[in-house]
Amino acid sequence: MLSEGFSLFYQYADSISLLMLSAVGLMIIFGMMGVINMAHGELMLVGAYTTSVVFYAGLPLFVAIPAGASAAAAFGIVLERLIIRRFYGQLLSSLVVTWGLSLLLAQGFLIIIGPSIRSLPTPFGSFSVGGFSYSYYRVFMFVIALAVTLAIWALLRFTKYGVEARATMENPAMAHALGVNTDRIYMVTFGLGAALAGLAGSLFALEAPIEPTFGRNYTPIAFITVVVGGSSDIVAGLIASALSLSAVRAIFTTQFNILIGYVAMLVSAFVLIRFIPNGLSEFLETVLNRLRRS
Amino acid sequence: MLNWFSSVVRLINGEQEIGRSRGFWICAFAVAVGLIVLPRFVSAYALLNYSYIISMVFLALGLCLIWGFAGILSLGQAGYAYGVVGINLSQSGTTYLALIAGLMVPTLFAAVLSYVMFYARVKGVYVAIMMLVVTLLFETFLNQTAGPQWHIGVASLGGNNGLGRFSGAIHEPPSITLGLGSRLIEFSGQSVAFYYLEVGLLIAIYLCLRALVNSRFGLILAAIREDGARVESFGYDVRAIQLVVFCLGAALAALSGILYVSWGNFITPSVFGVTNNILPVIWVAVGGRKSLTATVISTVVLTWLSQRFAIQGEYAFVVMGALLVVVMMLRPEGLITSFGGRKTSASPPLSPGSSHDGR
Repeated sequence: MLSEGFSLFYQYADSISLLMLSAVGLMIIFGMMGVINMAHGELMLVGAYTTSVVFYAGLPLFVAIPAGASAAAAFGIVLERLIIRRFYGQLLSSLVVTWGLSLLLAQGFLIIIGPSIRSLPTPFGSFSVGGFSYSYYRVFMFVIALAVTLAIWALLRFTKYGVEARATMENPAMAHALGVNTDRIYMVTFGLGAALAGLAGSLFALEAPIEPTFGRNYTPIAFITVVVGGSSDIVAGLIASALSLSAVRAIFTTQFNILIGYVAMLVSAFVLIRFIPNGLSEFLETVLNRLRRS
Repeated sequence: MLNWFSSVVRLINGEQEIGRSRGFWICAFAVAVGLIVLPRFVSAYALLNYSYIISMVFLALGLCLIWGFAGILSLGQAGYAYGVVGINLSQSGTTYLALIAGLMVPTLFAAVLSYVMFYARVKGVYVAIMMLVVTLLFETFLNQTAGPQWHIGVASLGGNNGLGRFSGAIHEPPSITLGLGSRLIEFSGQSVAFYYLEVGLLIAIYLCLRALVNSRFGLILAAIREDGARVESFGYDVRAIQLVVFCLGAALAALSGILYVSWGNFITPSVFGVTNNILPVIWVAVGGRKSLTATVISTVVLTWLSQRFAIQGEYAFVVMGALLVVVMMLRPEGLITSFGGRKTSASPPLSPGSSHDGR
């Protein structure tokens, strides 16, 4: 009983960290700038590649992972300056252009770097509960996912950048008139989103083979998490969406199998978008406001 | 009779489409004649290749109709082509039943999907994401149908390997066979007959779609694209119109799928993959999504170019991706429509209120 309960909890936490980490960078870019970044997976790939290269150059992982995030941030800022800044607030156009970018980059990496790169060893080993073996690294990722979310919340809430970024998100023209350098805010925000994508890529690279389509394994679920969460409150949306989608996935995975768990998650995402297209965060806000009034 | 004919001509040559001059129609006629005499001048291999290219044009036309004219971007358009599993239904004689099933299944599926989406007022980018989810669901499901328990009639679904000679399925998807009684014509993918079937369909469907976008229905579509709320306030049921056009787009994609399957006698779940679904978006966006003519031209040119670059190495996707990015940055309305056709307003696509110039 205890071991079954732990297994369910472990699955749940694992799925939450997967969704949160893969979606957080996308969420910031979507929520703050109204850009659907289909090249998200390729930013993750940049992080994964860099981590692998730095690690096999002989440096430890705690250097290699931040190096991956930084490389993705630098790459993201270049993309933003060259292309993406022309598409702010144009959801459909930004989706199409970044999709083209994704195709271009994935195939470009394939040609330049080749079909595969040395995989990284999964650190920390494993522990067992009730006869089943679990990985410490997954627990570590869960902690990182929570820490990243908390850090984003604090960044937006307490820093000067956070205030300016939220102002730019609410009303760019007004923020600009009040002296906020919105162009710079956009650039920094995209860089931050790209860095988080790179971080996710680096972390996932420690337990999955790195190949040019690496990012594409995560992009769709990241999108679903973002759209289900909605853009009215980034942190609340991310948490609500990851919690609810993971609950469906964990329950169906333990009751049936991994495939049915995945399908159930997609179906529930479809249903949620159908009924609350503006996302869980706005839905929760309305519910809370109604409760407060009554 | 003459009256009726001239009104049809006026419909086909209406304002919603570029290429309305006498010169254009002379060129178009020359192209049609060229297509008809082509088999005399090219090798059997080249003809096979042209048959493939033409089968892709229907897919692009479907996307052009729903994206360019109705403003609904679908990220899973190529996936509809798989509705063609129905083509395995008939194992001997004519394939009428299979053709009808191959067209009807995806269209009905699109009807259900669009009922779910449009009647809930889901729009814009959310439709695109929902289509992506549906496409993923299908890919996941069909990839695991390798076992013998997954079959429709005698045709096993074959999982990752799809339908065809590479999978466990002994029954390949058949070629299109039409006729009455014992007088059957088999349109096998390599044959000249198949090529002519496609050319005939292409000309007929192109003209029908031109008439459609210039009809009352087409004008309402364009109005919905520009400002859905305003159309609604005039008393039109926007949801129902979106549903109909979405089904039409799906039917065109399904036709493309049927032709593709009977061309190569196989298909795999990779049609639900990212790459296969972005290619139609590239063809339509690069040519000009608001024009059927531009879509046809750019689909043919880009598919042909992709094959040239694929021979050179693996540069086809790099070139296609780069082309899409450059066109979206410099000519967001598409290359052909902004150079060759009517002037389009220079306003950004997502700022309605600035583009009511009576187009």
